[in-house]
Amino acid sequence: MARFQASKYILMKNVITVKGVTKIYNPDTIPVHALRGVDLQIGEGEFTALVGPSGSGKTTLLNIIGGLDDASDGSVIINEQDIAKLSDSQTIEFRKQNIGFVFQAYNLIPVLTAKENVEFVMLLQGASQSDRDARVKELMSAVGLSDHLDRRPSQLSGGQQQRVAVARALASKPMFVLADEPTANLDSKSTADLLDIMAKLNKEENITFLFSTHDQRVIDRARRVVNLDDGAVISDKTIE
Amino acid sequence: MLFKIAWRNIWRNKIRSLTVVGSIVIGVWALTFMMAFYDGFVTMYIKSAVENDLSHIQIHNPDFMEDKKVEFVVENVEDINRMLSSDSTVSAFASRSLNNGMIANSKGSRGCQIRGVIPEQEAALTRLNDKIYDGVYFDKSKKKNPLIVGQKLADKMKLKLKSKVVLTFQNVDGDLVSAAFKVIGIYKSGNTIFEEMNIFVELSDISRLMGDKTMIHEVALMLDDVGLLDTVQSAMKAEFPDLLIENYKEISPDVNLYESQMGVITYVFVIIVMFALIFGIINAMLMAILERSRELGILMAVGLNKLKVFLMILIETVFIGLIAAPIGLMLGYFTVLYYGKVGIDMRESMEKIGLNEIIYTELDVGSYFIITVAVIITAIVASVYPALKAIKLKPVEAIYKI
Repeated sequence: MARFQASKYILMKNVITVKGVTKIYNPDTIPVHALRGVDLQIGEGEFTALVGPSGSGKTTLLNIIGGLDDASDGSVIINEQDIAKLSDSQTIEFRKQNIGFVFQAYNLIPVLTAKENVEFVMLLQGASQSDRDARVKELMSAVGLSDHLDRRPSQLSGGQQQRVAVARALASKPMFVLADEPTANLDSKSTADLLDIMAKLNKEENITFLFSTHDQRVIDRARRVVNLDDGAVISDKTIE
Repeated sequence: MLFKIAWRNIWRNKIRSLTVVGSIVIGVWALTFMMAFYDGFVTMYIKSAVENDLSHIQIHNPDFMEDKKVEFVVENVEDINRMLSSDSTVSAFASRSLNNGMIANSKGSRGCQIRGVIPEQEAALTRLNDKIYDGVYFDKSKKKNPLIVGQKLADKMKLKLKSKVVLTFQNVDGDLVSAAFKVIGIYKSGNTIFEEMNIFVELSDISRLMGDKTMIHEVALMLDDVGLLDTVQSAMKAEFPDLLIENYKEISPDVNLYESQMGVITYVFVIIVMFALIFGIINAMLMAILERSRELGILMAVGLNKLKVFLMILIETVFIGLIAAPIGLMLGYFTVLYYGKVGIDMRESMEKIGLNEIIYTELDVGSYFIITVAVIITAIVASVYPALKAIKLKPVEAIYKI
């Protein structure tokens, strides 16, 4: 794993390189082409939105980039590491060290408090108690939930849960954060708060964010918008 | 953290978890009680056989055990008595004559074994005097030819105190000897087969009827510590190589079988109950995993490897076992303690197999340990299948599962 961490700081330009990624579901029965030769490069510190209608392949692409799903063809290279070539256990380890996830349905661990949810990945990384405490304090402060550390997810609102999810995604100091429809279940205020937090973290800590979304509020805040349709990139705009 | 998650997961669905805990508690309690009942039964069976009939060691003329002829006597009784009297490990001993004969009265006749006993020795060895529930024990000042019969035989032959019977048996010359005896006591031994077959007369009376010959066919002895059985038996064999010296296990294979099978039966009980519990635990854990598949997907997505997912499920199941086992064991312990004092009266139903004693439950510490280990092993075994199902989940499918 030292290999991954070391390489993280060598190449600072392109964090993610997607080359000709194709994904076909049910290839032997009724093939469904979710992705058709997608090429994409995400640079360090980008704040990018993958947009497109339902079924356009946004979530599938995020899952493949995150190592949660396999591409039928093509490759995903993260810091010179083709993730398709990693074994299952190496992929899990790679995710743990390099990628932060924020999911649509919050997906916090319900039996853990907000603090425990955030420090969980750090525990898996073997971080010390003092390092964990400091990082949790820092992140929960950044997402504005310093006084909600001991609350269980069921005691938090949807917006608060999603902010905890962002803190959890950042806890491991990942190379980038993949956020799948992070605002889909949030009201306007919660969405605005969450986007403020993520934009601030992106700006101040140079954390790379890649969203899948069809929420205009997110698209409006993105600095790059990649449009997918029917599994292919149809436009890629950088907003100055 | 895995321990924390596993522990808290147990209490997410309290009813389901408590149902599993309850089933384990009942299983452990039932297992504890069954084992204690069986142990109590075997102990009672062996105790009854040893105290009433077998004693710890018996000494015979080797030919007597082949053919129960009266002439096959123990020759050197005086030497044996001297040795046994000086041996501090021997708590009591008795010399007897044994004659197969017939008891008859106006109601009919039956075959029986006539035991000619020295009253003081027999009282010390088998507490026959304490087992007299009607009438009295042998008393030299009383009339001649007194007889003590078992309750079962008395019932069958309608014998009462002072009933006169005729005993017929063979003397040393092979001639039949008949003599009148009077019932002075009726004993209860707890073993109805023994009661029906064995009658007691004084050795002096039977010797007189045999032509003033004291014929000892059996010397039986009890030890203070049954653990010294082999040592004492070996010493006696060395001292009296021409005699047949057997312990109760050698004399009565069924007692030996019960004693030797006690451990095996314990394991059979454990396996049956734990096997039943495994399915209940598997079912509950599978449901839990099904409900939590999205969560498991998230855990795997953020970096929890398969080994840790497996361990998490295993720990959760073991926790359930660790909650349930002490409760079940405690319930079992108090039940065993209670019935160990008051006993379980199954005399009516057990009379058919010749036993007429109350069963007092008992269980050694080792058995509680076995049950505890068995529950933990059961929980571990039961967790394997659900844990394997959990690690086979694909994060992407689990997370987006509706």
